[in-house]
Amino acid sequence: MALNAKTLPDDEFFFGHKACAGCGGSLAVRAALKVLDPNAVAALPAGCMSAVGFNFPQLSFANNAMITPFAATASVLTGIEAGLRAQGIKPDDCTVVGFAGDGGTADIGLQALSGAIDRNDDVLYICYDNEAYMNTGIQKSSLTPFGAKTTTTPAGRNAHGCLTQKKNVFEIVAAHGIPYAATASVGYLPDFLRKLERARDIRGTRFIHVIAPCPTGWGCPEADMVDVARDIVDCGLWYLAEYEGPQLSGVPGGQFKLSRNPREFASVEAYLRRQGRFRALTNDEIAQVEAGRDAKWEQIRRDWTA
Amino acid sequence: MIEVLWHGRGGQGAFTAARLLGAAASLDDKRYALAFPSFGPERRGAPMRAFTKIDTVQIGDRSAVSKADFVIYLDGTLLAPDWERELKPGGICLVNTADASDDPRLLAIDADGLATELLGRPIPNTVFLGALAQLADCVDRESVEEAIRQYMPAKLHEANIKVVERAIALVQQAEVVGHEEAAAGESAGQPGAAAETVTGLHRSAHSSGAHMPQLFATVPEPSAYADTTCYAAGYLTQVNAGWRNVRPVLNADACTGCLQCYLYCPDGAIFKVSGQNKAGVSVDIDLDFCKGCGVCAAACKFDALSMAPETNAKEA
Repeated sequence: MALNAKTLPDDEFFFGHKACAGCGGSLAVRAALKVLDPNAVAALPAGCMSAVGFNFPQLSFANNAMITPFAATASVLTGIEAGLRAQGIKPDDCTVVGFAGDGGTADIGLQALSGAIDRNDDVLYICYDNEAYMNTGIQKSSLTPFGAKTTTTPAGRNAHGCLTQKKNVFEIVAAHGIPYAATASVGYLPDFLRKLERARDIRGTRFIHVIAPCPTGWGCPEADMVDVARDIVDCGLWYLAEYEGPQLSGVPGGQFKLSRNPREFASVEAYLRRQGRFRALTNDEIAQVEAGRDAKWEQIRRDWTA
Repeated sequence: MIEVLWHGRGGQGAFTAARLLGAAASLDDKRYALAFPSFGPERRGAPMRAFTKIDTVQIGDRSAVSKADFVIYLDGTLLAPDWERELKPGGICLVNTADASDDPRLLAIDADGLATELLGRPIPNTVFLGALAQLADCVDRESVEEAIRQYMPAKLHEANIKVVERAIALVQQAEVVGHEEAAAGESAGQPGAAAETVTGLHRSAHSSGAHMPQLFATVPEPSAYADTTCYAAGYLTQVNAGWRNVRPVLNADACTGCLQCYLYCPDGAIFKVSGQNKAGVSVDIDLDFCKGCGVCAAACKFDALSMAPETNAKEA
């Protein structure tokens, strides 16, 4: 059954947390745990969601949840799953799920994630991507996009923000031949819910990369959080896609599928200009971002649409 | 030792003010000062505290201030019923509010109003710096202004010095009025009743059976957990309502039951109830845990949700 606002269970498994008002990451965790069953076991490395969810004595997860070492999200998921199984106490509807930020996934936890996919452990890994180390006060990660101002990539006279491009984690993960990987955005929750449901019902390693805006770090009004998460998809700087590995799709090398193929893109400039972190970008640099988007979409449309 | 306790929200400049006050006091070679903030892993908009200690000898005690000569609330909504617990005998509590108070120990200053007028933004910290220049013996107008010049970015000097001057004038005025009232009769400020205990969520009556964290009146004793690393899941001891300056208000007649607000609320503070509309479903808002981000009002396509200032909402 397709899940939507009406059919989602009333349960709240992530509630009373201390995230900033209008936090995209907390929306991603809340939505994901609503789809997974109460028996889901969550593991979170250092990052916003563990900092705001575990404030002893305030414990905001209603399901079993624990904090992992920073680099070890995927390894701890492996251990939890194996431990439950070895003890014979793993319920049938138990999803072992990890919630790591962009830094905890693409920088610090990449090796452990790669190992878990290699072993094809039965875990779901969710990367909530707010495009910088927001928990420690907005430092650049390898998922920070070009031009974004952070405390370690400040905007000055010569450089106007982050100089590197966003690392392509989705395709890095897919290149492992993982059973299922997907990208999503908290701006398009029905799409995210559908992918969570799919991931929940597949065995083996699953990975979802969800864009989760951070009003504090992105420099946009809190109320605009969901709209910005939509805008990044509409303007083409993020894409909603799925990858099914060879075992699932029956296609050697696996198969990419676009969940959304916009006929026309919304304005990249409008998307960038509404956020404080891109304020210093020149029109030339914005044109550069746009050109990068067009090149990426040319490849996506060539390779991913059957 | 003069001790000052600053209550504010992340982003209001409480720590900056605490530092500037210490800097102003220590301009005099015979004085020492210490300033430091205290906050948890909470975020922008969350209540935090900062402290300034000023003495004529070096200060060794680096612990938080529990009773202060001056307690300052940069946000009036943070003022708790038991505010006087933190006040030393003869101490003064300064509150950022437009509403006057009967209690002579409570001085109301409309700092947001003054800051908005002079800075264009409601950043109240230097207003209270000015107030302290008038009230505290260890700092005066010159030292506070010098601290601003030394520690704030140059482009902020002029406007903030103006703020300080206006704040001093405001407090002088209030002092004159206060003395007249004190002569007229003694106030009977009785300590308020202890904060009432919470036993359950406001919403539990509506969504019975939903699996979710519960609010408890008692904080678990840390010693009870000394021999385990496992704690009860979903155990809440604090509401998040204090984070909010605006709150969502539902116009039930306009609600179509589309539930987009429920779907997109980052805090799960909106829950389903049965409704009178065609869909037969509407929503209610858990104001104990709403942080006032406004995502719900932005998600509502039918203008059934709007954000109203917290101060007005309380009176309604």
